[in-house]
Amino acid sequence: MADPKGFLTVSRELPQRRPVDVRIKSWSEVYESFGRDRLEKQASRCMDCGIPFCHQGCPLGNLIPEWNDLVYRTDWREAIERLHATNNFPEFTGKLCPAPCEAACVLGINQDPVTIKRVEAEIIDRAWAEGWVAPQPPAVRTGRRVAVIGSGPAGLAAAQQLTRAGHDVTVYERDDRIGGLLRYGIPEFKMEKRHLDRRLGQMRAEGTEFKTSVNVGVDVTAEELRERYDAVLLAGGATVRRDLPVPGRELAGVYQAMEYLPDANRVQEGDYAEPKITAAGKHVVVIGGGDTGADCIGTAIRQGAASVTQLEIMPQPPAERPGSQPWPTYPTLYKMESAHEELADLGGDRLYALSTVEFLGDADGNVRALKVVGVEGPETGFRPIPGTEREIPAQLVTLAMGFLGPQREGLLEQLGVELDQRGNVVRDATYATSVEGVFVAGDMGRGQSLIVWAIAEGRAAAAGVDTYLTGTTALPYPIPPTARPIA
Amino acid sequence: MSKAHADVVLISGHDGGTGASPLTSIKHAGAPWELGLAETQQTLLLNGLRDRIVVQTDGQMKTGRDVIIAALLGAEEYGFATAPLVVSGCVMMRVCHLDTCPVGVATQNPVLRERFSGRPEFVVNFFEFVAEEVREYLAALGFRSLDEAIGRIDLLDTERAVDHWKASGLDLSPILHRPELPAGAALRCVTTQDHGLEKALDNTLIQLAGSAIATGEKVTLELPIRNVNRTVGTMLGHELTRRRGADGLPDDTIDITFTGSAGNSFGAFVPKGITLRLVGDANDYVGKGLSGGRISVRPDPAAPFEPEQQIIAGNVILYGATSGELFARGIVGERFCVRNSGATAVVEGVGDHALEYMTGGRAVILGGTGRNIAAGMSGGIGYVLDLVPERVNPEMVEIEPLDDADRAFLRDVVERHLAETGSTVAEKLLADWEGSLERISKIMPRDYKRVLTAKARAEAEGRDVDEAIMAASQS
Repeated sequence: MADPKGFLTVSRELPQRRPVDVRIKSWSEVYESFGRDRLEKQASRCMDCGIPFCHQGCPLGNLIPEWNDLVYRTDWREAIERLHATNNFPEFTGKLCPAPCEAACVLGINQDPVTIKRVEAEIIDRAWAEGWVAPQPPAVRTGRRVAVIGSGPAGLAAAQQLTRAGHDVTVYERDDRIGGLLRYGIPEFKMEKRHLDRRLGQMRAEGTEFKTSVNVGVDVTAEELRERYDAVLLAGGATVRRDLPVPGRELAGVYQAMEYLPDANRVQEGDYAEPKITAAGKHVVVIGGGDTGADCIGTAIRQGAASVTQLEIMPQPPAERPGSQPWPTYPTLYKMESAHEELADLGGDRLYALSTVEFLGDADGNVRALKVVGVEGPETGFRPIPGTEREIPAQLVTLAMGFLGPQREGLLEQLGVELDQRGNVVRDATYATSVEGVFVAGDMGRGQSLIVWAIAEGRAAAAGVDTYLTGTTALPYPIPPTARPIA
Repeated sequence: MSKAHADVVLISGHDGGTGASPLTSIKHAGAPWELGLAETQQTLLLNGLRDRIVVQTDGQMKTGRDVIIAALLGAEEYGFATAPLVVSGCVMMRVCHLDTCPVGVATQNPVLRERFSGRPEFVVNFFEFVAEEVREYLAALGFRSLDEAIGRIDLLDTERAVDHWKASGLDLSPILHRPELPAGAALRCVTTQDHGLEKALDNTLIQLAGSAIATGEKVTLELPIRNVNRTVGTMLGHELTRRRGADGLPDDTIDITFTGSAGNSFGAFVPKGITLRLVGDANDYVGKGLSGGRISVRPDPAAPFEPEQQIIAGNVILYGATSGELFARGIVGERFCVRNSGATAVVEGVGDHALEYMTGGRAVILGGTGRNIAAGMSGGIGYVLDLVPERVNPEMVEIEPLDDADRAFLRDVVERHLAETGSTVAEKLLADWEGSLERISKIMPRDYKRVLTAKARAEAEGRDVDEAIMAASQS
């Protein structure tokens, strides 16, 4: 166990973010380095609980008390082994996960939880720096061929597991680079893409093949794919975006977040010098109060927006965990992400309980303002409050309102896989779809979720595919498809 | 148990238990209460004893369904522990023994206790739901009260359990067996045990010592004793405490000398003012819960053996004693002074596990020891002649040299041991006292020493002693 009384003597501490005025001038990550000895002290706060509820919070089954203890004892080498035992990509979750493990941490009942996510991030950063992360090519190859469709965290996790099990794995990606939302959805300031590239380098060295700019269902039909491969794993994500079908939606300057953010990311990738959709000098409104909305805010500020306003239809959440969302559930709280700090510094607002009723345009068909109304809700639906209509000027609007489910046309229709009421792909306990030899993992089967759930699904589905191909498997199966967050 | 006039038999299953246990014990020790309960019920019924003893069961009981199953198997009382603890805020940290309970349940540390968020209402509410579920099951079974359900094993629907593939190959009929009973045989406790208390030796003692209790006048008695005389002195002690309160009487006011072989629990719970001298030998549990009284045990003067080489009394001497004194001329059994919190004892040899879980008092062992001395000992002091250090469990204690206070204490108690028991061991030691002191080691719990030091310093500096003790115990 880490220090039995660590939680009584050390308080929670996280690394500082770089000053707002400095960090918004660049796209690099916002956190300053923390220092190893301080992190080891933070790890000492872990109580090695008899019932570690962090295990309930995290679908990966991360051995959190074990690597906290190892970090406390400065055995970082063993810590990364223990971390990689359950998580293929700790650098992604260590930087991007909203950390349901910390929400479930037993310390969180009555004080600040352990900085689990930070410990995870530092373990993997150190491991890369020390050269402890080596490719693990399989000793024996099975000769079985697997196609993984989609290169987000679910697809990559499954591909790595199946490659290491000895199968010949090819990952198909319709975009021009591997990574899915990790590549084009996540802004550079949250995770620098070198982390992704470094991991892909490891995967290539292990023998995983990647094919980019191939849109399965268009460039290659589902039938061809099934003939060519012994098994197919669908990991295409929940890409259908929720839209806002109000008058004026067609105006120029109203974009989906997943149009706006990839464009900004392409500039970082060096595809072009200036973004095609820029916030520079504009009044920007971000619709949607979640993490994608925050990504839009940080991006718009770095592009030089004149002002940024974030709108959310739900009421402002409380700062502290309300009684209705008790420990160990993941609470909806008023968070101060890095982008929100930058927004506050700029004097921008986060407006709650507002609904957009119309986009107003100028003579040239460009958006010039939003017409919004205050709403009551959400207990029995949202109802506009009369007399609260007003206009918010905007020359750029991004919609960050979540995703509805996987794209049906093309691949899914060609395969004819069964879909559930929500339009997600139906699967059995082995992640097999209704079509022989076709499996599904991640948001395509679950609906929009977190990276950590995608990795867990990818790992579990790999076990299902491996069993299908060889009759048995030694791969871990962290969650069944029916697993849900504690709530 | 029932024949021995126990009022209650508890079948405690393996599922429950303290979070302080090692994981191996939690997972791999014990058997399900269902097995023990079924066997108990059948045995009691077959022997016609069921009507006079209460059968209790526990082991991770959580629901009304558990209660009903236990009732149908034959239990009339049901122990709940883990579930109500969790209801009050326990998160099963399994650190109950470390004083780091983060929800303030298993700790006396004020910083941690502040975090305790439980309320009695939560527990009341929990049991209301359990009771409600019990009522639902009773109604479904056609019963008006829980009493009617006790022992009705014929109503236990086992089909689903037995049909389960995991149960194939298992023969559950011995558990579900219902013995042939005469008509009207009770399936539960409907009468009470006849403890035969009117035949107890203590009735005589109370009669003979009654004047001393009433007036405080000194009484000296001499009586024979046999091993059928159990817990001798306990009822007398009760009478004294009832009439005189917790302060009792001056030492040796009631002074009784027994001759013979004493039964179990000689001198149990005896309060201040009573002195029991036994010439002969004793069984287990001498001075259990001793509460200020004095006990001495010595062999018959006509005995041909060397007293210090023979067992004079059994196991678990002074179990949970809080104050008082015991002198025994001879060797005593295992777990000597277990959980002693304040009594002083001198013996001439002990079995295994001496001084286990001691929290206070002083134990002087003028002879050989078994292994595992002082396991879990958090307080009190042990003194051992010619100690073999390997036999000490070092987890919580240190072996230290004697200081002046120890020497003075030892001189006093060894002299009294000689006076009380005629011990030749004591006599020889006193003959070369300085040399004898060289041979005595002191066993001192580390935390206890720290607290004593802090207390002494606080007293010397005139600070709040309680506060200093609290601070020292938490560092």
